[in-house]
Amino acid sequence: MTRRWRRPAPLLAAAALAAVTLAAGCGSRHTQAGSAVTFPPPPTLALSASASGTTWASLELGGSAADFNNFWQLFARRPGAATWQLVTPPGMASNGGFALAGPVGRSFLAAFRPSQNITYSPLVSSADNGAHWSTGQVAAGLAGVPDALATGPASSSLLALTAHGVELSRDGGSGWASLATPASLAATAAGRKCRPARFTATSFSPGGTPLAAAACTRPGATGIFAYSGDGWKAAGPTLPAALAGQPVTVLRLSTAGSHEVALLAVGSKRAATVVAGWTGRSGRWVLTPVLRTHGQRVLSASLGPDGSVGLVLSGSQGEIVTGPGASWRPLATLPADTQALALGPGTSIEALAGHQTKMTVWARGQGPAGWVRKQVVNVPIPYGSSG
Amino acid sequence: MNSGINANDPTVVAAFRAALAHQGMIALAFFLLVALVWGGAKAWLPTGTSSAPGQGAQPSPGRPMEPAGLQLLRVGFGILWLFDGLLQAQPAMAVGLPSKVIEPTAASSPAWVQHLVNWAGASWSYHPIQAASAAVWIQVGIGIWLLVAPSGWWSRAAGLASVGWGLVVWVFGESFGGIFAPGLTWLFGAPGAALFYCAAGALIALPDAAWRTPRLGRAILAGMGAFLAGMALLQAWPGRGFWQGTAHGRPGTLASMTQSMAQTSQPHSIAALVRAFTSFDVTHGFAVNLVVVAALALIGVAFLTAWRPVLLPAVVALGVLCLAGWVLVQDMGIFGGLGTDPNSMIPVMLVTVGGYLALTRVPVPVTEPAAGPAARAAAEPGAGPVPVPAPTGGTTQGRWPEWMRPAALHRSVAAATIGSVASVGALGVVLLGAVPMAAAQANPNAAPILAQSLAGSVAPMNFPAKDFQLTDQRGHRVTLASLRGKVVLLTFLDPVCTSDCPLIAQEFKAAGQILGPNAQHVELVAVAANPVFYQLSYTRAFTRQEGMSQVPNWLFLTGPVAQLRQVWKNYAIAAEVEPAGSMVGHTEVAYVIDRAGHVREEFEDDPGPGTASTKASFAVLLANAARQYLGRS
Repeated sequence: MTRRWRRPAPLLAAAALAAVTLAAGCGSRHTQAGSAVTFPPPPTLALSASASGTTWASLELGGSAADFNNFWQLFARRPGAATWQLVTPPGMASNGGFALAGPVGRSFLAAFRPSQNITYSPLVSSADNGAHWSTGQVAAGLAGVPDALATGPASSSLLALTAHGVELSRDGGSGWASLATPASLAATAAGRKCRPARFTATSFSPGGTPLAAAACTRPGATGIFAYSGDGWKAAGPTLPAALAGQPVTVLRLSTAGSHEVALLAVGSKRAATVVAGWTGRSGRWVLTPVLRTHGQRVLSASLGPDGSVGLVLSGSQGEIVTGPGASWRPLATLPADTQALALGPGTSIEALAGHQTKMTVWARGQGPAGWVRKQVVNVPIPYGSSG
Repeated sequence: MNSGINANDPTVVAAFRAALAHQGMIALAFFLLVALVWGGAKAWLPTGTSSAPGQGAQPSPGRPMEPAGLQLLRVGFGILWLFDGLLQAQPAMAVGLPSKVIEPTAASSPAWVQHLVNWAGASWSYHPIQAASAAVWIQVGIGIWLLVAPSGWWSRAAGLASVGWGLVVWVFGESFGGIFAPGLTWLFGAPGAALFYCAAGALIALPDAAWRTPRLGRAILAGMGAFLAGMALLQAWPGRGFWQGTAHGRPGTLASMTQSMAQTSQPHSIAALVRAFTSFDVTHGFAVNLVVVAALALIGVAFLTAWRPVLLPAVVALGVLCLAGWVLVQDMGIFGGLGTDPNSMIPVMLVTVGGYLALTRVPVPVTEPAAGPAARAAAEPGAGPVPVPAPTGGTTQGRWPEWMRPAALHRSVAAATIGSVASVGALGVVLLGAVPMAAAQANPNAAPILAQSLAGSVAPMNFPAKDFQLTDQRGHRVTLASLRGKVVLLTFLDPVCTSDCPLIAQEFKAAGQILGPNAQHVELVAVAANPVFYQLSYTRAFTRQEGMSQVPNWLFLTGPVAQLRQVWKNYAIAAEVEPAGSMVGHTEVAYVIDRAGHVREEFEDDPGPGTASTKASFAVLLANAARQYLGRS
């Protein structure tokens, strides 16, 4: 029997055309439907903080973070001193950055953030303003936000914000217990009003109450919570009517003297605004007027000893607010590579710039330039040592 | 997926060369053995039915000529496979293929393609020597097989082998020829050269009768016509960047491709040609694409119509287009990186011309002599063993069918042609590559060659290991003397190290797993190597981090700094604190201490790139070292 072959041309042509059409479609991109809420990115870990008269600053120097050639450095300006000193704790690679906590008794506590293959955070403390560091305790891997570690008024109380949630230590870091996860917080009455997407900060109130901050997916809700023996309660400010209905993210949450200080991002993208708030003795929040960022990102937010707040925005813009009842004031265009502002003592303001192997301190001065170079600290960056 | 080590790593290259030389000798020996068996059988049992040596491929009276189209495909793709096999023998191929060929090819494909291809790349990188030499011998074997088996069973089997291996190359080596990735175009090699190897193999595997009518040629040309018309449509599709010489101040899709090709290392004259074409395309992008689209469409339509007067001009036109594309766009396939084949244009032309010859040069039918299967087997060049029916109703006397009886086998061997004998040799070459590769892939552990390339040579030694007393991660005091009777793998780790130490710990853990029940006689011991972060809390945190809390023979030891410094001194370990955010620099070394407490080996355990394959390779190296001293006291 002879098998007759059909002429396959029309069939093949149709198949080829269909394949080509499909293939042409393979290269096209599909736009994803936008999610309900877009949160602004957290500020970088570059900041300054004050404790017991010493001003601490954390800046990123070196080279590419992708190649682990970025090395975060700690600097300290000791009480009464006019200049800064390099006080980076030795013994561990600092590519992940530092979390600055505050005083523990007479010491200042900081932690290394995880990077590369290490997933936990060694704690270091210094009783002599960074001249020497003590080691011994660890926390789980701290989150990449400025307020990931906090010390309480009781010298052994610590709060850590990790990938798992908020953890509490009552013994200076020897043992840790989970205080909240996003899920457990969301299950509370206060959490339901916020619908937290993620934690953004943790702190103690001046009275020693554990606080946690979150980005709320529920528009208009401010995700600041206080932990009492029977669970988490809402502890954030009520926003003015003009800001109602907009998503709120807590960028910073800390304490300054007898105040809780919070920095809130309200709205998103070009409509984003920033509001700072302080609690008074009554526990009520006092908010600043709205600062419109016009699409600029908050790169760094530093707190002064008296509760002042200094922002570095993208585009070399700087803003400060001196405390409750004050308004935002723009600063002269910041020097190149400014990563953080150092506020105080008094009304002094310094712009801290970091680039490769130099930290440059600029003091706010008179004249059109607005900034005067005050100090250059050379840092022996160990390029390639973390590769 | 790749091992991360240098493609030209001298240790791996030397091992690859040694493996090729070794297997080459085996291949030669196998060919000689087959020839000797054949010659011996012929001498022992002269049947008079065999063809004279050297006449196997010659047509004899009553034996049909090999169709010209089939011959072209067989010889053409035989040479291509042979050439590809030789390209696979490039020194950098063993380590470089996953990172320089497979990974970049898959990069623009969807995630599921990358997942599949990465799996294959990972398998390759675990056994680079076996995989690379397998690719060489399989492709050389298929090439030889196609060249020496002109027709019959062996030839069709060679075609099927080409289909099988071509599919492997197409899927894993070419990521399905990029058909699921954006930017698909005939000019860059779509739908993958290996797919044409498969198509050619399938055509070679067709029964001889299929080649003896013009229908096959018509079908091949129609298929090519549809393919080229489809490629023309794809090339003309708007929004893919082929119509523009430049877009937003940058070269268009074609020009940017050729621009990057011109920048790779290659002979200057070829680079100059590609650069000149790039400049021309930048200024005349629309015209270039119009010519390509029109040419592909017209040639495709000509093939689809099968109208004889236009076929030859269309074939010639396609030849010119292929030559231009091969030189100016595809960089001849073998330049511009680690070339594995000459890309798609030559296979396209071979299949097309093969189809044209099948249509226009149909062999004259010949009358086959009336004979039984045994006689046909003897008459057909390259024929394999053919069952001889039993004389009575298909049953045989005794337990064995007639054709398996020694006399029948002897007759088959003696009647075999030189082509079929050479085919057996070629099949042996294919198996020479395939069998060790299959055995290697069945082994979940990596080859130790990667670790050896990183660790350098192992220093054998024999002296008593200095004792120490430290504290393990559970808080228990441990002395080295207390571990006597067990083999100790000793290293020094920084518990807050962010890069190498966690990788080394994983290598130790994996070594314990490889050792299986023997692991109970081996202790995996690390001593803290950081004078700042050395406390128990850190060795505990590190142990938890690496998932080693449940590893019974894992000890991460620490103690007061003064005590640690003494241990470091005894084992020649430097641990230095560096300033400004640097981690502690320390010596990365592993010692193998035998059951009697003697240091027997020392090797560097810097994990290098720390990929899955290098980690697995180090684990094997450690496990092998432990095994070596388990049996000795």
